[in-house]
Parts: sequence; structure tokens; C-alpha cells
Amino acid sequence: MSKYMTFTEVVFKDGELLVCALEDIGCKEIRQGENLAMGRYYSEQLQQRADIIIPRDKIGNHYGDIGFQRSGNGDYTPVIDDLDGHRVLNGQFIPRLRAAYNERVVSKVATRLRGTIHRAIEGGIVKIKVRY
Amino acid sequence: MPEINFTINPQTGEMEMKVEGVQGSQCADVAKIVTELTGAPEREENTKEFYARTNIRPQIQNKKI
Repeated sequence: MSKYMTFTEVVFKDGELLVCALEDIGCKEIRQGENLAMGRYYSEQLQQRADIIIPRDKIGNHYGDIGFQRSGNGDYTPVIDDLDGHRVLNGQFIPRLRAAYNERVVSKVATRLRGTIHRAIEGGIVKIKVRY
Repeated sequence: MPEINFTINPQTGEMEMKVEGVQGSQCADVAKIVTELTGAPEREENTKEFYARTNIRPQIQNKKI
């Protein structure tokens, strides 16, 4: 059954960094606006609205759009079809997005502190040192 | 030279951060910059350096009359 799921425990605080992170993981087409309607492709999908939307079929999301709803405090929460959640990027869409977002966070922190970045991968783990 | 060590797990997307070479509350200032972008951490722990007092050397300047 296809239905939109909202991941309330996953939060992105910065919309600009979120869009950059989406591009980093391969989203080429991203719609941005306020309270945009997400597509309904199956009768079970309830109408959802979002402020950042990756249209259907742009990153392997065959069942629906992927949206990010902006809450009153400015946080962005993902909305993704249940079936797409298990398929997009081999079910790794949210973890990969979080990793890309966190790398963007590190870059922004380094810029704000006027620091230098040293990045390495050890045992599959990304290690970044910021000196300032 | 102060440094921040970030560890990102690509499998989960989780990030850990450790601030080194920064004493006292300046460490909290760095943490604040990060949490503004990531949200509150699941777990937070202060290192010994956080409790170390920053050496303050008073500077006295003689007034010329």
C-alpha cells in the first residue's frame, strides 16, 4: 500500500543547507516555495503540502513526490511515500541525506570560524577536522 | 590551535563532534554554532577542558598625571 509518511524524528534546521545536501546526493530537480501541493498518484496517498519538493521519478521515487514540510520554528521534516522509503537509494535516502547535510553543516561551521578543513575516510567513517 | 573533530557515519547519517583546545564556556559557544544548524544533540558531555579556568592575567596601567 502506498501512503505518505512524515518522519517527525528527522529534522533539518537550515533550508539552504538542506537543498545543497539534496543536490549532493543526486537530486537534480528541486521545487521550492511555500505550502506547495505534493502530487497524489494513488488513492491511498492523502493530500500533503510541503515547502521543498523533489518531484516523482527524479531520484528513484516511483510512488510519489518527496517533500519537506517547514514547521513554525523553521525546521524541515521529510514526507516520503512508504514504498519509496524502502526503495530510494536502496532504502538509504534519509541516512544519506543526513550525512550530506551534516557535511554541509561542517563546511558552514568552518566558514563561520574561519577555519581550515581536513577530511579523511577511515573504515567507512568520514572524519573531518576543523582547525581555527 | 583549537580544533573540532567531526565524525559522520554514512550508514546512519549520524554525526559526533568533539571540541579540543578550547577552555571554559568558549567551548559552549562553538557547540551553539553547530546546534543552530543540527538541532539539539541526543547526548552531550563536557570534557575536562570545559571545566578548566581560563588564565586571566590582570593588566594594570599606570595613569600618567
